[in-house]
Amino acid sequence: MAFDVSLGQYYESKSLIHRLDPRTKLFFIIMFMVSTFVAKDVYSFAFLLGILLVSIIVSRVPIRVILKGLKGLAVIIVFTAILNIFWTKGEGEPLVDWEVIPNFWTLKIYVNGLINAGILAVRIIMLLTATTLFLSYTTTPIELTDGIETALSPLKKIKLPVHEFSMLMTIALRFIPTLTEETGKIMNAQKARGADFSSGGLIKKAKALVPIIIPLFVSSFRRADELATAMECRCYRGGEGRTRMKKLKFKVKDVFGLLFALVLLAGVILINIYAPGYEI
Amino acid sequence: MSIIELKDVSFVYGKKTPYEITALDNVSLNIEENLITGLIGHTGSGKSTLVQLLNGLLKPSSGNVFVDGEDIWEKPKKIGQIRYKVGMVMQYPEYQLFADTVWDDIAYGPKNMKLSMEEIEHRVQKSAEFCGLDKETLSKSPFDLSGGQKRRVALAGVMAMNPKILVLDEPAAGLDPKGRREILGGIRKYREESGTSVIIVSHSMEDMAMYCDNVVVMSKARVLLNGKCEEVFSEHQLLKENGLDVPEITNIVLKLREKGINIPSNIYTVEGAVSALAQMYGSTSAVKGKEVRHGF
Repeated sequence: MAFDVSLGQYYESKSLIHRLDPRTKLFFIIMFMVSTFVAKDVYSFAFLLGILLVSIIVSRVPIRVILKGLKGLAVIIVFTAILNIFWTKGEGEPLVDWEVIPNFWTLKIYVNGLINAGILAVRIIMLLTATTLFLSYTTTPIELTDGIETALSPLKKIKLPVHEFSMLMTIALRFIPTLTEETGKIMNAQKARGADFSSGGLIKKAKALVPIIIPLFVSSFRRADELATAMECRCYRGGEGRTRMKKLKFKVKDVFGLLFALVLLAGVILINIYAPGYEI
Repeated sequence: MSIIELKDVSFVYGKKTPYEITALDNVSLNIEENLITGLIGHTGSGKSTLVQLLNGLLKPSSGNVFVDGEDIWEKPKKIGQIRYKVGMVMQYPEYQLFADTVWDDIAYGPKNMKLSMEEIEHRVQKSAEFCGLDKETLSKSPFDLSGGQKRRVALAGVMAMNPKILVLDEPAAGLDPKGRREILGGIRKYREESGTSVIIVSHSMEDMAMYCDNVVVMSKARVLLNGKCEEVFSEHQLLKENGLDVPEITNIVLKLREKGINIPSNIYTVEGAVSALAQMYGSTSAVKGKEVRHGF
């Protein structure tokens, strides 16, 4: 297929993490995110990385699959890191001091910049791995949106359309694979008519996409129309009074999951205070 | 002579993932030139995969595909040329239309071939005519047409590339009986006039019996049967064991034989049955002027 969609694809297994309540996973992810930004030194980063590795092993998602998912984002990670090298102003002598354009722009690279860039890359990788691991590889999109809906349900009190929002998200997620498949089919059909997507300059490449985008657009509208009719036929009238087939249930392991997330944050803060290693 | 040859071809989807599926398992197959070959099998038997291997949309996991005696993956960069040689109409091709006018859409393939303007004009006219699209339709938007007309436009778009081999994946799916007859009959006429070799993927045994010379039966990622229509349909036992069937009329003939009526068992079309029965009961008026196709 043309696009690699392994990032964000559910990986079937019955591991402990797969069986956790999606709300627990959401909470854990938020705590993990906060922790990565709170983390200040080598020890706390090592602590977080260790926990991430253990989670990967417990989830039984092969490292190979996770790395493949990250590969697609390698460009963005490297790009952000490189930008950071140039943007950081450090103290002391710069490593590189090069007047690219005299009296106008001098390129300066500091040791701090290099370290910052490295840390930033590690941070992004950790965040991406953790979110995809907990929210896509081990949670089906339906579970995820159900989780978000129930977690946000208090907001219904102030008349926020929580249900509609989550239905919107469910539908969007549900149609990603369908659209991917459709794109593959249309691409094949146009390739069979001699379309060439890989050669030529940027403009030529963009033009070559027209025969794919237009049919895709047309069929998306057709699909939306059909879906609306189908929902109407089954008397869908929004969230009011709807019951669920699968009710989310908090279990003992979820309580432990929540506690573990808190311990994680507390651990990072404690390491920051009591065991300062090389400060970053 | 065989125009397409598959040698020990296997194809695996999603290798080394939990979703691994072997769609084709060591398939060897010859498809003869200048004939209509039907490809039949259950959903998931590997038909569509096989078809996509023929013009290099998919690359076999192992084995070789020869078109016109040439290994198509010998020079991977030249795969585009193979796609002009093996024209392919995918399932529900009406969803691939995109241009402002029908004319532009049909001309898309020939334009990619970098033909001269006159040649393109000529080919568009000819294939449109063949698919029963009049001059007025050519200037309309393809999105304003009916489903059946859209499909003809898509078909014309591939025919305009003058392929040596024309592959059609379920060309009659979702059409009413009249639409079916028009599309399949048109393809048959096209083959007779242009000498193109045609491969049709279908679910319908009746259509196969009516329009194909040879039939290839796929089952569980392998080729189960391959031969002339008559030969393949005479294996009714084997077909039924694999969840497929012979044409309805053959079933009726077989039932008649069970009841002790001495009608030949190798009858695969209604016309064939009519003429056989007429012969048995000494009347020829019933079949006058009709095309008679049956297995003897």
